[in-house]
Amino acid sequence: MFTKEFDTRVKTTVKVIVPVVGVIVLLVFFGFRNTVTDVGYRPQQPVPFSHKLHAGQLGVKCVYCHTSVETSAHSPVPSTSTCMNCHSLVKSESPKLKLVRESAEKGTPIEWVRIHKLPDYAHFNHSRHIRAQIDCASCHGKIEEMGVVAQNKPLSMGWCIDCHRNPSEFIIPARPISGIFTGVKAGKYDSTAKAVLSPVKALTEPQFGMWESEVPKSEVPGIPVPKHPGIGPENCSSCHH
Amino acid sequence: MEQEKSKKSIPFIKIIIGVALLGFAVVVVSGNKMWYSEDRPIEILSDMDNQFKAKPQVGSTFFADRAASRPVIEITVPRDGISYPLEKPDFERADSVIGQNPLQASDFVLARGQNRFEALCAPCHNADGKGNGKVVEKGFQNPPSLLDEHAVGLSDAHIFHIISAGQNIMPGYADKLNMNDRWTVVHYIRSMQAKR
Repeated sequence: MFTKEFDTRVKTTVKVIVPVVGVIVLLVFFGFRNTVTDVGYRPQQPVPFSHKLHAGQLGVKCVYCHTSVETSAHSPVPSTSTCMNCHSLVKSESPKLKLVRESAEKGTPIEWVRIHKLPDYAHFNHSRHIRAQIDCASCHGKIEEMGVVAQNKPLSMGWCIDCHRNPSEFIIPARPISGIFTGVKAGKYDSTAKAVLSPVKALTEPQFGMWESEVPKSEVPGIPVPKHPGIGPENCSSCHH
Repeated sequence: MEQEKSKKSIPFIKIIIGVALLGFAVVVVSGNKMWYSEDRPIEILSDMDNQFKAKPQVGSTFFADRAASRPVIEITVPRDGISYPLEKPDFERADSVIGQNPLQASDFVLARGQNRFEALCAPCHNADGKGNGKVVEKGFQNPPSLLDEHAVGLSDAHIFHIISAGQNIMPGYADKLNMNDRWTVVHYIRSMQAKR
């Protein structure tokens, strides 16, 4: 058949190439998942804003700055005027806030670096999740403990679906620090009350539109009634519409 | 010669494979990146992740100031209602222009008012409304108590005006609280005053 030399050469090549290629394939398959590539993305922001100080120590709630999170799909980075609400007097000479003061005077935007990003074909709606009393930390981690914010969760589709299927395992109910409206319980408002999961329905039931119909009408226009967190929709068009 | 070379290189490759497998195992088992990075996440296939469209709070190459979010055009009104008509010093006109509180002080309204108050007012006014919030400790001017005689004597419309347009060094919160939210806060302040 083959000469002895050629035979050994083939065997050696196979011995080397197969494991190397195998490991590369495994590394690409597992190592390039969002848990590895995206989690831990911690860019330096133009202004060294510390959530640890503002939210963690001063107890300013998330919704003070990220106000329209409960009414819009996009959770906004606050306008410069929000910073100046306090920093017109507090640390008004600080060199760290130079950019903020310039922005307030001239109206130029501060170019914050975006950390949490979904693909443009996936439409995440903050207001729906906030109305279901799902805490910010469920997807962002405990921001109030971060000096420089880093991405904490993979934000991949599989990760979304995990929670949509098993909310009781993954949801962090609204915490007081986030300032999410949890509604009236026994005639009183209690920001520390935990959200109660709604009963889980079988996935075989038709889902489209089911969740909208369950939302109670608010007695005051413009103020959403919090609903119980339950299993999320799983049809493609819920997010890829 | 070649046989010897390849024979010698096999143990070395085994070490590399071993190290790679170990690293791979650590990464996979931990399920998490073990280090922080300032570099943008790697996009293996960036399919249509980044589409050319105007996205909220993202820059734009179209406008001269590079902002995709545009300021409100002067002669227009926002879709969810009219903007607040009065300026900061116009508090005397508040009673005639604003009028009565349209909401009833139900449990829901008070709950919402408390939620908004604790989120947006408490940094300065404190959760009990007496002032000395956390921001005041950091050097902001202490606001007067919401429970004293002066505040009790103000009309609902006047309080609504102060929340909307601000007073002295207090900024207006019309951009953070919609019309009904502000009325719920008025109700909540009234309920705190009743309990004092």
